[in-house]
Amino acid sequence: MRFFKILAMLFCLLAMQQVAAVETGSALKTEAIKKEPFSDAKTMGTLSLGDRVNIFKKEGGWLNVKSAKGNGWVRMLSIRRGDAKKEKNLADSFKGLASGRSGTGKVVATTGIRGLNDEELKSAKFDAGELKQAESYLTTRAEAQSFADQGKLKAGSRDYLPLPQ
Amino acid sequence: MKSIYLVIFILVQSIVSTTVFGFDFGDELGKALKENVQKKLGDNPGATANVVSGLIGTSQEEEIAIGKQIAGNLLGASPLVKDDKLQKYVNNVGRWLANQSERPDLPWHFAVIESKDINAFAAPGGYVFVTRGLYQALPNEAALAGVLAHEIGHVIRKHHLKILQQSSWVDLGGQALARQVGNNEKVQQLIGSGAEIMSRSLDKNAEFEADGIAIVLSTRAGYDPFSFVEVLQNIGHIANDDNSVAMLFKTHPHPDVRLEKLSIAMASDFDSVKGLTLDNRFYRIKP
Repeated sequence: MRFFKILAMLFCLLAMQQVAAVETGSALKTEAIKKEPFSDAKTMGTLSLGDRVNIFKKEGGWLNVKSAKGNGWVRMLSIRRGDAKKEKNLADSFKGLASGRSGTGKVVATTGIRGLNDEELKSAKFDAGELKQAESYLTTRAEAQSFADQGKLKAGSRDYLPLPQ
Repeated sequence: MKSIYLVIFILVQSIVSTTVFGFDFGDELGKALKENVQKKLGDNPGATANVVSGLIGTSQEEEIAIGKQIAGNLLGASPLVKDDKLQKYVNNVGRWLANQSERPDLPWHFAVIESKDINAFAAPGGYVFVTRGLYQALPNEAALAGVLAHEIGHVIRKHHLKILQQSSWVDLGGQALARQVGNNEKVQQLIGSGAEIMSRSLDKNAEFEADGIAIVLSTRAGYDPFSFVEVLQNIGHIANDDNSVAMLFKTHPHPDVRLEKLSIAMASDFDSVKGLTLDNRFYRIKP
């Protein structure tokens, strides 16, 4: 009997972890929840500022969400992704990738790679060899076109955005 | 009648000074700048031949010479990631984006440099750098494209040249500057110490403008523009006191503010854009 209790508890823990793995977010403004990722799709509900959502996937500029106000697709730019608890985890995971410094603020000696600071940039000395090497990777316009073709990227026209006010 | 002559006289004057100085500084200001230049370059042979001109009117050759100096210095602080395939790959992606801009004829150069920081840099004339730290945090090719396109935006709108002009630096004029290959003392005098110009903040609006250009060039190139939005969202999640974003946060508005500006500028115009993310083609660096 005790064994089953422990097993049940384990299952509960697992289930909780599943829930925690879903990305969360909150609405940055009043925004419609659409049935499909299109602006003219049927409206399923309306999010108000601060409403919490669970995020399942992204498609173009749309996020597939579940919320108390309904389920469907919401404009990505109207959602702030993550919450306080998750942010810390995400920051940590970024940190693991991106920082060469240990928690004590000391530089990790083994990596040999440090961050850039003002002083390092100021005292930087011109490196002709590295520059020549960097310039040797130049891609021509024609090469870029065939690279795009390989990836099935098609060029199109699009006006620049209005300047920020 | 007299006033018409006066107007014509002023017009002719300003046209003359424009051609002489390349930029209409007005007489007194022009004189002051000229003296300033001569003071700075007094010991420099040949300096007297230099003309004063606004950097916005800087020739493409001079612009490239300035960028080359900054790029060489930056590489002195952070060398290339030693991975030929990686470097060629970022040049392919970057050049495809630059082709969609109004300056496809610059000799565009893109590189990933050794730094655990999360940051990217642009220097005049088409030099663009991404740190290893930022590169490794990117999920796909469209996200890389967004980052490169933001930097391309700074180059095509000459944001760094404007900074040099604002700090009352003036160009050193002439082809002599452009002809000199490699480490160039005159250009170094112009840009200050080492690559410190890379640690200076641009105008906030220059950053918002570059974000908008990132969205538009990504879209023109066939990429999913919202992958760049995702990059900003992810960077916004990094704690403010994290060393890896110290310089990025010092020199840029907070990602939340940038996202808000983008949201307003993009409105619903990109709702139906379905670009590619190319997750599979994205070149991953060996950790």
